Amino acid sequence: MYRIRFHGRGGQGMKTASRILGTACFIEGYEVQDAPRYGAERRGAPMFAYVRVSHTTIYERGVVPVPDLVVVADASLMAIPAAGLLTGCTPQTILIMPPLYAETPPLPFPGVHLTMDMDKIRETQISPSHLSSLWAGAAARLCGIVTETSLLQAVEEELVLLGEEAVAKNRQSALFGWRLMEAHTGCVTEKREPSSKAPPPEWIEFPWDPVSMSAPAIRSPETSRGVITGLWRSVRPVIDDARCGKCWWNCSVHCPDSAITVNKEGAPVIDYAHCKGCLICVEECPRRAITVRPEERDPEKGDPP
Amino acid sequence: MNKPTIKKITDLSPHRLIAPGTPTCAGCGALAGVHQIYDILGEKSIFVNGAGCMTLLATYPFTPFKGSWLYTAMACASAGAQGVRDALDILMEKKRRQSDEAMQVVVLTGDGSASGMGLSATSAAMDRQLDFICICYDNEGYGNTGHQYSRSTPYGAKTATSTKGFHGVKKDLFAIWAAHKPTYVATVTAAFPLDLAKKIEKASKMKGPRMFIMLAPCPPGWHFDPPHAVNMGKLAVNTGIWPLKEYIDGKVVHTLIPKKRVPVEAYLKSQGRFAPLFLPGNEGQIQAIQAHIDDYWALVPPS
Repeated sequence: MYRIRFHGRGGQGMKTASRILGTACFIEGYEVQDAPRYGAERRGAPMFAYVRVSHTTIYERGVVPVPDLVVVADASLMAIPAAGLLTGCTPQTILIMPPLYAETPPLPFPGVHLTMDMDKIRETQISPSHLSSLWAGAAARLCGIVTETSLLQAVEEELVLLGEEAVAKNRQSALFGWRLMEAHTGCVTEKREPSSKAPPPEWIEFPWDPVSMSAPAIRSPETSRGVITGLWRSVRPVIDDARCGKCWWNCSVHCPDSAITVNKEGAPVIDYAHCKGCLICVEECPRRAITVRPEERDPEKGDPP
Repeated sequence: MNKPTIKKITDLSPHRLIAPGTPTCAGCGALAGVHQIYDILGEKSIFVNGAGCMTLLATYPFTPFKGSWLYTAMACASAGAQGVRDALDILMEKKRRQSDEAMQVVVLTGDGSASGMGLSATSAAMDRQLDFICICYDNEGYGNTGHQYSRSTPYGAKTATSTKGFHGVKKDLFAIWAAHKPTYVATVTAAFPLDLAKKIEKASKMKGPRMFIMLAPCPPGWHFDPPHAVNMGKLAVNTGIWPLKEYIDGKVVHTLIPKKRVPVEAYLKSQGRFAPLFLPGNEGQIQAIQAHIDDYWALVPPS
């Protein structure tokens, strides 16, 4: 059985990538399982999707704890332990992802680390909205059990609702991903299938939980401050103090996340540990005093590490 | 004491009562409104939240609130509010609590629930003259589950379950609620914080059912980029597709009448969800939407 995990952020199309790969394998005659896990169910949040591909009935259920192939759409997820990118990786695991950020320490990854050449993809002008097919194509080539025809058919089946034009572009994108991985065709190794011969799982009885457990209560105020939503940002808004007119009722009131506080002098201050980077403040500032800068995290300035 | 204290934008609080760190989407138009409302109602207000996007606010073990928040199933937030209100009344009767001043019971419900399965419980709560504030954040779809259409989705909008454009009509929840003759009904949106604040403050000083419908621009569900979230609210009001109004003492009063309405096409064009309306052959649909808005405003007396 092949066990594949796709990691990305909500909106990057990794659920679709897993669907395309799963459908392509199904067309090839395999038994297939694929399912997404969203967590927070919102754009930008870490999510993953997993696929199991087997010659025989699949009795395994739930997430893939030990993957043979890990596909990561977004290198910034490496900074988020909760995203669990490398969970369960073994020396046989293949990892394919965009180049790591320059300051990233060496990955605690025991397997084979492949890098997707994002510059090459940019040159082709494949739109970001068609990248899910590219990752699916790459994953299909790495597994080496899908033909080009099945891959393209799977793209069509999964995306037919988006219309002909979108299907055509996604087919191109899938093929490009497929070709990029030519040198690594079939490098994913199929694992022994301990569970396929195991009997289906038995019925499990869940005992009643006490109300205090089954209806959990939060007894402290404002615990959400511990959630560092600043990690969602890909760019950061920066207030130019010289131009700021201290009209906090524009930026601070409109910031959905209470991430712009007002200091004693009446000037707005951005809380980078929590700013999600929606950039509403940039749009609303009447003096254009808030600019967009590339994201550079500086823990000394209170940024999340 | 009952005089309004919020008259101009600088009267708003510069401090935020709701903490950051919630898992709502970047640029969430519902959270923008909820924090503006919480700043005015105060930290003693008790939220009763029907299942919806705002469920995400308090995901165990994290809450952004200083005060209480109770989660109910989708259809029964207003019934939950009755329980909370009754509990407060009993505590006061038994003298275990001196006063319930500033302890507003506030229902938070999405439009899917408010105009669908939650309508019955809310209707019954109004019938019983329940003393509560009800806030429907209207993102015009079942946002939390991937934006399927709700009965509050506008005509023509593409959703996960209407990929070629929604062919129903947006339910007029304002008229439905006002027909119950509650104490107060108002429409608001976070892009107009002063209008919102004045209405919330006014309602907070009344008793009985006080109902709010808040347009909540939704970047992922409406297909626009997060920085434009406030612009969407402004456009909705300035095109006249989202009238800001209130129902009070049996009368409907418009609180902001756009001097010159922006053509609705500007609003529709700025959101990917309305793309089906711009396909060749659909020109008549945009005209029909414009005509619908013009007909509405033709009946509004000038202020």
